[in-house]
Amino acid sequence: MNVVEVSHLTVRYGSFTALSDFSCEIQEGCTGLLGPNGAGKTTLIKTLMGFVNPQSGTARILGQDVVASGPSIRQRIGLMPEQDCHIPGMTAVSFVAYAGELAGMPSAQAIQRAHEVLEHCGLGEARYRNVETYSTGMKQRIKLAQALVHGPKVLFLDEPTNGLDPRGREEMLDLIRSISHGKGVNVLVSSHVLRDIERVCDRVVVVMKGQLRATGTIKELKAIQGQPLDVEVREPNNAFASKLMEIGAIVGPPKNNIYRVQLAGDVLKAHVTVQSAARATGAQIRGFRLAERSLEDAFLDAVQPGEPPHILHAPTTGGAQ
Amino acid sequence: MASPIADVSYRDYDGPLFPARYRWWVIAKQGILLASKKRNLQVLSFVSAWYYVAMIIVLFFVNQGGTGGDMRSRAMESIMKQVIWKDQFLHGFSFAQLPLLLVTLILGAGAIANDNRSRALLVYLSRPCTKLDYLIGKFVGIFVPIFVILAVPTILFYAYCALSFNQYGFLRDAPYLLPQMLVVIVVSAAFHAGLVLAVSAMFDQGRVAGATYAAMYFITNFFTVAMAITWASADGKAPGPVKHLFYGSIDGLQIGFCKALLDTSGSRPFVGSQKGTEAQLPVPPPPMMAISLIILALIVGSAFLTWRRIRAVEVVG
Repeated sequence: MNVVEVSHLTVRYGSFTALSDFSCEIQEGCTGLLGPNGAGKTTLIKTLMGFVNPQSGTARILGQDVVASGPSIRQRIGLMPEQDCHIPGMTAVSFVAYAGELAGMPSAQAIQRAHEVLEHCGLGEARYRNVETYSTGMKQRIKLAQALVHGPKVLFLDEPTNGLDPRGREEMLDLIRSISHGKGVNVLVSSHVLRDIERVCDRVVVVMKGQLRATGTIKELKAIQGQPLDVEVREPNNAFASKLMEIGAIVGPPKNNIYRVQLAGDVLKAHVTVQSAARATGAQIRGFRLAERSLEDAFLDAVQPGEPPHILHAPTTGGAQ
Repeated sequence: MASPIADVSYRDYDGPLFPARYRWWVIAKQGILLASKKRNLQVLSFVSAWYYVAMIIVLFFVNQGGTGGDMRSRAMESIMKQVIWKDQFLHGFSFAQLPLLLVTLILGAGAIANDNRSRALLVYLSRPCTKLDYLIGKFVGIFVPIFVILAVPTILFYAYCALSFNQYGFLRDAPYLLPQMLVVIVVSAAFHAGLVLAVSAMFDQGRVAGATYAAMYFITNFFTVAMAITWASADGKAPGPVKHLFYGSIDGLQIGFCKALLDTSGSRPFVGSQKGTEAQLPVPPPPMMAISLIILALIVGSAFLTWRRIRAVEVVG
């Protein structure tokens, strides 16, 4: 089931087009919204939240149109904004409980739930402190807590690791992963930090200059066209490489005892061919795996300037090293 | 850190959620709760009622003094008979204006300005809560405490007078005094709440918004005082505009409305205000329709300004 469906969405701020004929579908689970600064990630979230009215196109969350449904759809959404936000003069527990009440929770349940969520977000000990006295890391956590308090089905996290030290970043990513996997909360994480996205997300949507550049699972995005194999051998063996090339394979130079081998046909057949070549030349194979790019390479490929948008459901170019 | 035996895993909330209506009441309730906890507001509530308290004491002793049969008692009784009751309420309302300014500043100066500073609008507008909910919630959160602070002493004083001084024409002289005063208080609370919210919405700092509102109050009040002096020095024969311009301030408008509704020019405070001795100095009441329209226009204009300033997009980034 699609959690978010965006169809031909165009959003303009005056003469500047922030999103241009943008269409995508976001499935259940944890999805990363990737793109450089100014790509249109935050505008997409603003539009999905109903803060911005699109010039054209539609956006649906959990099957409901974001414009037509009005505020009621926001009862099922949580937003952790990029910037610090809190209500001045409140302790963490009263702030989170108030956020719950604003979402429609009865007072008593909002208070109880605020305690639970703050405990989960690691602010149990600091829950009676004024939010204004919190450190950056704590403010990030309280933003997550206020977004979670009413039990949203969809959670938008806009740059959730901004301003966090390495340990805080790891803890925040652990929190996001724990919420998004097996808890029934669908998470859309907007970030330009590829490592964070790779750590917590199953799927990605790549945005560049307001246009969709790529979408799919991280595995798909990292896959290389032709499905080459990375074959690890005990030590470099020229005879093995030559044998493979005789069969018609494209073999790259060894890198850390790994040959990148691309053969025609399916992967299983390629495995058999490589094994027979190894037997014939006495090469000792230590491991096989499908070759893939780093997410960074995949992202850079997707956002190459000047190219028309291309949707990467299928693996893109690449090949033997 | 959590206790080692605590279950801190995330659990989905499966309790009830009220529909996305009346969300403004949650915001208003929060404003009222926060206001009720402010100690300085409680002190100011008492200070704003000082005239009523003083009058209760004065009337009590004058009334006690008038129970004997001697000459002094007859004089006291005569004083009681001459009291203009509705003017006492006008004075009570007028003398509450300065403390009311402080109450309004405490309640309203940071109401939106502090939210702007801390980007709290994102919290509000990411919920099933509209701009209108936010605006009404903030307005009611200021309006209700001001109304209570003004209404409680007025009602208590009215009850005291009705129970104790009916023989001196309290109910007969002004039979609609209480509803009239409640209308005045509603208008006053709405006026203050509307204006201070508009000023608050213009700034990102509650203190700056408060200073601006106070400046507006005192500058316009200075103008009012100047008009009052002009009126008094001309022995009530100053040009026509003077008596209208006298009401050209934040508290002047409210006092003018009170005078117009009670149909009185006012008189000297305490038991000096006696029937048949109304001084020429008090400025006559303004035309009811005109002052009502001015106040209404200012409230609506303030609401419009506030509405224009509440923008989620700006604070999203």
